[in-house]
This record gives sequence, structure tokens and C-alpha cells, in this order.
Amino acid sequence: MNYPVWDIPFLGAGMVVAIIAIIHVLISHFAVGGGAFLFVAELWSNRQADGERIRTWLHKYATFFLVYTTVFGAMTGVGIWFSIQLASPEGTSLLIHQFVFAWAIEWVMFLGELTLLYLYYYGWKTNSRRLQVWLAGLYFVIAWGSLFVINGILTFMLTPGGWTLENTDIVAGFFNPGYVPSLLIRTLVMFLVAGLGGLLIASLMEGEEDLKERIVQFSSRWVLPAALLLPGLFYWYWTTLPVNTARLMAAGATGLGGGRLEVMTLFAVVTGVAGMLIVLGSLLFQARPRALTFTAALSLFIVAQVGFLGGEFAREMARKPYVIYDTLYSNSLWKHKAAEPGYLRQPYLSLTRWDPDVVPLTPEHGEWAFRLQCASCHTRNGYRGIIPRTASWTALSGFKWLETMDQQGVMPPFVGTAEDRAAISAYVQSLHGKTVTAQAILEQARAEEDAARAKAAKAAEVTP
Amino acid sequence: MDESTRDARFHAVPEEAEQALPCADSFAGKASRAFLRRVPIWPVIDFLARKKVPQHKHSFWYTLGSMGLFFLLVQIVTGVLLMIYYSPSQPWSSVQRIVMEIPFGGLIRSIHHWSANLMLLALFVHLFSTFFMKAYRPPRELTWLTGLALLGTTMFLGFSGYLLPWDDLSFFATRVGISELEKMPVLGQWIAGLVRGGPDVTVDTIGRFYPLHVVVLPLLLLSILGVHLFFVQVQGVSEPDSFRALPPEKKKYHKFFTEYLVNEIPIWMALTALLVALSALFPRVLAPEADPGAAAPEGIKPEWYFMVPFQMLKLFPGSLEFLGMALTGLIPVLFLVVPFVDRTVPADRRGQMVARIGIGFLAFLVGMTVWGWMS
Repeated sequence: MNYPVWDIPFLGAGMVVAIIAIIHVLISHFAVGGGAFLFVAELWSNRQADGERIRTWLHKYATFFLVYTTVFGAMTGVGIWFSIQLASPEGTSLLIHQFVFAWAIEWVMFLGELTLLYLYYYGWKTNSRRLQVWLAGLYFVIAWGSLFVINGILTFMLTPGGWTLENTDIVAGFFNPGYVPSLLIRTLVMFLVAGLGGLLIASLMEGEEDLKERIVQFSSRWVLPAALLLPGLFYWYWTTLPVNTARLMAAGATGLGGGRLEVMTLFAVVTGVAGMLIVLGSLLFQARPRALTFTAALSLFIVAQVGFLGGEFAREMARKPYVIYDTLYSNSLWKHKAAEPGYLRQPYLSLTRWDPDVVPLTPEHGEWAFRLQCASCHTRNGYRGIIPRTASWTALSGFKWLETMDQQGVMPPFVGTAEDRAAISAYVQSLHGKTVTAQAILEQARAEEDAARAKAAKAAEVTP
Repeated sequence: MDESTRDARFHAVPEEAEQALPCADSFAGKASRAFLRRVPIWPVIDFLARKKVPQHKHSFWYTLGSMGLFFLLVQIVTGVLLMIYYSPSQPWSSVQRIVMEIPFGGLIRSIHHWSANLMLLALFVHLFSTFFMKAYRPPRELTWLTGLALLGTTMFLGFSGYLLPWDDLSFFATRVGISELEKMPVLGQWIAGLVRGGPDVTVDTIGRFYPLHVVVLPLLLLSILGVHLFFVQVQGVSEPDSFRALPPEKKKYHKFFTEYLVNEIPIWMALTALLVALSALFPRVLAPEADPGAAAPEGIKPEWYFMVPFQMLKLFPGSLEFLGMALTGLIPVLFLVVPFVDRTVPADRRGQMVARIGIGFLAFLVGMTVWGWMS
């Protein structure tokens, strides 16, 4: 079941994936929206009397676009592959096997994008104006095509729709309930990011105040479609979420769940705040285009980056505790296997791909069981750290709690014997600086059970 | 024309104002003229409208003060919201209620926590950027001194606020903090007793810290801030030597209102987004309720901004403690005397020396803080 888990202190493997992915997602959205921006700006410059001046500026935009999307986009894109296969080999394997043809199309799209972008950029002086418009337009179409493909796989992980492990209906999985709203949201966000990129490059202009004014106003208009339509689209997307997820997400915000906001709700709030700020910021520079400085434009870009962080985190959190919803848990436990009678109560380490071959009930047993079963989500003392979460545990209460940990709805069921639970509980105690042996925990639990049994027997004697 | 134009009790509207104000027939024109006849503040408005901020490659370092101001505004807003449900007589359970029951309460509390830390960080960076740009030199000594007072007040706001949730961490950290204070010669015992309200930290200490945190220190901070900002307005933003050396045609300025302020707003927006994101990623947890009778949990440390004195006292144990105290006490003194030691523009050899010492000092403070945090 499990590969040796990639043990990243403080951050945890998932957070490493998240950091790389969040940087990548802003870039990839820019890589698509920027294509549309180049295309429309080419058309716009053709209609202006001083089109050459606009094109001189557009060349700077294209330079930034090329370096930012190809260099950093490629680095972080490959980084995602490296990190997800280490963080969740089972999940990555499932996605590759189910969508092998989609990945192949995606790869061809990337190749097409890069080719067209190089032809466009390096043919800046030699290509005809008409050809440049065509190249930019075609680039956008193909880049949007890559979104069309990846969006299916991303939304599949949260809402697999009619797909199951048995029917492997990849069309139903690909065009799943979340597909269309997510595609529309991401498309509008791409335009928004392209506009913010325009502001960033326009802020560097010196001397040509009148042109700066026009370009800043042109760029800030790209935020408009998202400003108008995103609230409705997000609501649509929210209605496609699994019922429990949607309910949990709303509970804290509406006061139904008390004041406790689900983590995903918090991240949704982050996105909402960021979105409103970007709209206000673009309005600000629509009104005062000449005043725009680089720091201000960069700040808006950072707000967008934070907005992506919120949105993507909320989406990932919504899947908890699954990596593929209702199919595969985040710690690589298959739901259908967990349902097999007796599966959950086998010795845990014997089920893993590389049994570390430790002596049962030793501290090593506890540490390996923790690494393989818990560490895909929990660090020791960092993000989702186990130490603060178990502050109120005693060795015995931890031992008991593990058995029913899935009943709160945010964790997978525990796999393993009483020895496994005792070993993990002892390991957790050792993280708090307390020495308890797993053997002692087991004995204590048994003594308690015996006492309870004796009490029950006595009660039965009294009332026959 | 209303009767006020002929009445000696009213002021005349200056000629420049007549030209700058909206048309005299419009409502805005009438209202603004009527106002100026009663309150003759045209020179102030004119001064502010002319205010310019130099634009150069170091400009970013000049936004840190405004960042500090932004965090202060966040602190005031979130602080008032927290006060609605916080109760000093039931500190821990009222904070628990804020976190568990009040809609968005946990979020507001986390933002208050993160904004406090970032405010101090912004102020420390502001202090050192002002230092390295040598903005403390005459005629700005008083701006520098009021700035130091603001930093000190903010640190005490942090210290007094930290105790209020009355959880394990805050209780023991405060107890350690005050016992360090107690080691001060002559007055130490008396001051420690005064702030604690007795020989140990108890609920009476909250009775002292709460009014300090929500009334006394904020009022003090706002008063000093008013003076600080007044000086900045009157003297204008200082220009680093490299900018001052430029020929006049190469010096670029932004008008404070409109141009400069418009560009501050996106920075504040980015900070808002950052605050909410940090609060979502790393919400402030509420540890178990403080148990004064229990043994202090291991590794109790003060907040990072008090790490330097904490670490200094660890370095000088036992009978050397007094030396540690004296050296720690020297840190603010060094900052206080800088504008009276380094006075020449552009920087002379002594000025360069001060800058070099400053780099070493910054490395020392950062090093001690990281060391304290790691150990």
C-alpha cells in the first residue's frame, strides 16, 4: 500500500507540493491569459495611429511574458511532477493511468505553445504584422486548450462524477460536475492576471505619460470580466462540491457551526478578499493611470498570488481526507480496500511496499508507523503539527482515539493492530518528551478492559 | 454672497484659494468658502497640496513607516472587535468563546496576532532603513527620538497584549519576562511588583495589563504618533545623500496627495491579503488555560522581539547577570545618541563609521534573535 513517505520536517510533503504549485498556477494562468493579451494588444496597436509606440511597449511585455512563463513555468511545472510523485505515489499513478491520453495531448499542447511563442517573439522584427496577430491568436487557442485538458484532471480529483474504479469511465471523470464552472472561473482569472501583468510592465514606462495612461487603462480593463462574473461562477462551483464539503464550508461562515471556520472556508475568504482588492486596485489606476509605480503594480501582482494561494488551498482542503475523492485517502489508503472485512486490522507495516522490518513495539515501530500512516498530512511540530494537536493526549487516550479517528469525518480510518496503535501513541508521547513504552500502553489497556469486563460480569450477576 | 463676507468676525478667503476652489456658484464652492471664512486653514491645505516626496531607487524603504501605520489601523479595528467579547474577569474562557463560537472570531484574533508581529517587524525595518539612510541627522533629531518612543511603546503593547488570553504560553512567558525585569538593580523589585500586582502573575496582573493594553498605551502611542507625523509633515521626507547629490533637473518627486498616496494603497492591499492568508495558514492557537500552580512547560521563550534581552541574560549567568543587564540597557541608549554623534551632510568619515557599526549591530540583533529562537 505505502511507499516510504517523503519526510519533510516542519512543512510536510503536501506543503512542498503546495508551495511549488501555487507559484506555478499563477504563472500558468498568466501563460494563457497573456496570449490573449498579446493578441488583443496586437489588434489594438494596428488600429492606433501611433501603433509602433504601443508595439515597442508590447515587446517589453512579451519579453517578460516569455521569461516568466517559460523559464519559471517549466521549472515549477516539472517541480510539481517531482513533488507529487513523492508525496502521493498512489494518487499520481492513478492519474497517469486513467488519463494517459489526456497527458499526451497536454504535452503536445505545451510543445505547440512553446513553438508558437518562440516564433512570435523571435520573429518580432521579421514577421509581417498579420502573421504576428495570427501567431499570438493561435498561441492563445492552444494554451487555452492545455487548460481545457488539465482542468478535467484537476476537477476530477475533487468531483470524480460518474467515474468509479470499477467502470473507469474517463469521459465521465473528465467532464465531471465541477468541470465547466472551474473552466470558466480559470479563464476569467487568466484575463485578470494578464491585465495585472500589463500594469506591471506599464509601471516601468518613463517619459511617455500619455501612452502610459492609455496602456494602464487598457490593462486594467482586463480585470472587468472577472470582477463582474466571478461571484456567480464561484457560487455555481460551490453547488457542484460534494454535499458534506459544501455544508462544512458554509457552516462556520453562516454561524451554524459556531465561530469555527473550516480551514477551507478561511482560504475561500482569502480569495474573496484578494479578489475585491484587485478590483479596487484596478479601479484606482483606471482613475489615476499616470501615478502607477512599479511597487504598486507589483503589490497588486502579489495580491493575485495570495488570491491563488487561497483558491487552490480551499480546493485542495475540500477534498480532505481524500486525494481522489471517495476513492483514495491522502495517506495512500484505498477506500475499497479499507471496506474489505478484516483489512483494517492487519499488522500495518506488513501491508507497506517496503516493510522496514522493525521489532514490534519498539520506538522504531512507532516512528515508522507514524511516517507511513500519518506523515503525509501531519508534520511533527510544523504545518498541521502533531505535537500541538496531541497536547491533551495521554498514552492511553491516544491509543483509544486512533481506533476511531475516522469518525470525525476529516481523517481516514486507522489501519493496524492494537500493537500499531500502542506504538504510535508511545511515539507521540516521546515527541512530547515523555517516555512510555508501547508494551506498557497495551498492558494498561488490557487491565482496563479486564476491569470493565469484571464489572459487567458482576452487574450481570446482581440482575439475572 | 452670504452676510459673513462683510462681518468682521469672519476671515477673508485668500486669492489663491479662490482660484483653486470649485466654482463659487456650485454647492461645493459655497460650502468650501463658507468653511474657510470660519476656519482659516487655507495655508495648511495649500502646504499639504504642495507636499512632495522624492522618487529614487531607495524609495521602497520609505514606505515602511506607512506599513507600520497600516498595521496600527488593523490593530485598532481588530482590537476593538476583540474587546466586544473579551472579558478580563474570565480571560481564557472569553477568548475560547471568541475562537469557538463567535463567527469569524478566530480569524479576527489571528489577524490581530499577525498584524502585531508584522507591525513590529515593519517598525524594526523602518528603524534600520532610517538609520542607514541617515535620516536622523539634523534637523530631524526629534523625529528620530519620537520614532524610538513609538517602537518602545509598541513593544510594550505587544508584551501587555500577550498575557491577555491567559493560556499556558502567555502566562509563563509573561512570568519569565517580568522576573527578568525584577533583576534590574534598585527599582527592579518595586517595578515588577507594581506591574504584577503582587509577588506573582495572577488575574490581578490582567487587571493591570488590560487597561494598559487597550487604553493607556494606545493613547500614548497615538499622541506620540501625532507628533512624529507632524514633524515629518513640517520637515518633509528626508532625502538620502545619493539623491541630494543629483542635479536639480534629475531629481524626481511625486506629489504626496494623489500620486504618492495612490501608490501606497496597493501596498496596503498586498499587506491585507498577506494578513488574511497568514491567518488562514497559521491561525493563532489558544493553548490550554494557564495553571499557575503547574510547572512551567519546557522551552518557554518570550516573543521574538524580546529575544535579544532574554538571550543576553542567558549569556551572563549568576553574578555576571548585572553585566548582561547593563549591556542590554545600552542598546536603546546607543540609538538615542546617534543623531547627536553623526551630524554631517553628506556623510563624513565619522558618518561612515556609524553606518558600519550599524551593520555590525544589526547582525548582532538578528543573530541573537535567531539563536534565541533556535535554542
